[in-house]
Amino acid sequence: METMRLETAIAPEKIAAMYLQYEVERFYTHEAALLDHLRFEEWVDLFTDDTAYFMPIRRTVPRRNLSREFTRPGEMAFFDDDKATLVGRVQKLGTGTAWAEDPPSRTRHLVTNVRIVEDSGTELTVETCFHLYRTRLKSEIDEWIGRREDVLRRTEEGFRIARRHIYLDQTILLSQNLSNFF
Amino acid sequence: MTTAAPGTTAYLESLVNVATGELDRRIFSDEEIFELEMKHIFGRAWLFLCHETQIPKKGDFFEAPMGKDNVLVVRQRDGGIKALLNTCTHRGNAVCRAEEGNVRNFMCTYHGWTFGLDGELVGVPGMSDFYHDDLDKTKHPLRKVAQLDNYKGFIFATMDPQAPPLLEFLGRTGRIGIDLLAERGDIEARPGVQKFTLNCNWKFAVDNAFDYYHPQITHISAQAVGMIPSADATDTGGAKTDEGKSLGVQRLPTDLDTLVALGEYGHAISGPSLDSILKTLPTEMHELVTWRQNPGPLAFLGPVGSRFAGHPHLFPTAWFTMDSQISLRVPRSAGVTEVWWFSFRDRNESPEEQRAQLGRQIHSFGPAGFLEQEDGENWSQSTMQTRGGASRDIPQLLKMGLGRGKIIHEDGVARIEAPVNEYAQLWTYLSWLEWVKGTGWDELRSSTTPGDHI
Repeated sequence: METMRLETAIAPEKIAAMYLQYEVERFYTHEAALLDHLRFEEWVDLFTDDTAYFMPIRRTVPRRNLSREFTRPGEMAFFDDDKATLVGRVQKLGTGTAWAEDPPSRTRHLVTNVRIVEDSGTELTVETCFHLYRTRLKSEIDEWIGRREDVLRRTEEGFRIARRHIYLDQTILLSQNLSNFF
Repeated sequence: MTTAAPGTTAYLESLVNVATGELDRRIFSDEEIFELEMKHIFGRAWLFLCHETQIPKKGDFFEAPMGKDNVLVVRQRDGGIKALLNTCTHRGNAVCRAEEGNVRNFMCTYHGWTFGLDGELVGVPGMSDFYHDDLDKTKHPLRKVAQLDNYKGFIFATMDPQAPPLLEFLGRTGRIGIDLLAERGDIEARPGVQKFTLNCNWKFAVDNAFDYYHPQITHISAQAVGMIPSADATDTGGAKTDEGKSLGVQRLPTDLDTLVALGEYGHAISGPSLDSILKTLPTEMHELVTWRQNPGPLAFLGPVGSRFAGHPHLFPTAWFTMDSQISLRVPRSAGVTEVWWFSFRDRNESPEEQRAQLGRQIHSFGPAGFLEQEDGENWSQSTMQTRGGASRDIPQLLKMGLGRGKIIHEDGVARIEAPVNEYAQLWTYLSWLEWVKGTGWDELRSSTTPGDHI
């Protein structure tokens, strides 16, 4: 039978790795759907209480100075949030008076190039590429492409984001704000 | 609207009416006016470039805008600082394509002309074979700004050799504005300048720094989650939601007790008085403003200067916040402005205090700041409407407190004490008009010296 041949041909640890990849990718498409459906309260629940959500500033530097291309935690950043701050952002959006998102932006979070780079057992380090596409009002378009480096913690409820570092492929931001989540 | 021909002094004077508190909206989208601004304001005024602690080591550089010119601010081998135009003296290519970094010299990637940190031309490929040694290298250095100076580590430059010295340009009001940041401690720049792009005219971003009428509406959602102090009193003026309900706008103690300073060349300070902000801030945050009454800072600020807890703004584009940041509004065209945030810390503060301030800076301002997220769209939509043939004929209003601005002269500062008002904005546009007319330095100074009322 076809399935019998598959089981004998592929080692169990490879099957496990494929399943882990599937679980992680499913987690990210679920997360993206929550954001794109404006379900921010459920989205922020995906972060652990000790999470760190960080987007450094990127700078155009000579190749020789590439080590200082991104600012580091403790330096200036666009986002440097703990869980309480992230929850505060979600509460702000829920006030009904957060004008930057009223009328709401249309967003599409595309997550791709999912690479599990480390698995400690309790936590995974996962790198992804993203494309956040946003339109606002009549004709405004913003898009951000970049790389995320996450620490996903295994919990009884499934994966939870224990750290997210977001690296944009822009130096001078081309948008008027960052009122959306990455 | 006016019948005077565009470009004439009479036309420009028709655009700003201080007596009625009305502006012509064309000043926010007219390309010819933008070019006059580039020539007469950004080509002449002392402009903030960066802080000396951003370029501590020899060869460190930071690229700063001066109008449409790009300037490399470079730490020299002898520890000094020079500001060089980032354009090769051969064919014009930028000699440096990075925003900041560290180099030994600047080599143009077009033909290889190489310039020292001081701008001197030190290398020309083919000097003997192609040029026959018939090129005087000393005649072709990178061009320098006309004047460069710094006040307490804040580096400024002007393209006008005739401009008055920096200290005179800043005047008492401008110096107080910088002292309200510089005298807070042993100040150094935090690594990382936030930069982002707004589709608005630069003057919308500039005059908003004085606007204490907007926070409780524009930033009401940030107030709801605790980013701005709350009060029990509410406004009765009548802001209503699209469902017809009262918006519940709060009235803070600071709203009825603000201080305005008007300075020569268009500098100004506007916002809460020290007393009123102490009533508004929770006790544990009083140190944010009480340091200025210590003997050291007080010696520079004086009894009047130490009472300002609002927003200083150095004409034309540098806004100093209350919590050690500078927001530079960088005009790129009539309808596009970049915002550059420079952030500072006090080396004497504990790591915990420095960390807490970093959090306040990142979470208040910048493109993801709880406050500033909301600002850009107000200004971009306001700019867009100034392009409509009918919409631009509606005057822009600065009528709040009009005719009631009694100016008190004390300790070298011209101040107004009033509830929330629009005096500093009116002062900015009154001064803007004098600048954009191309008024000479002496007359510019006298026409922007505050009298007894506005």
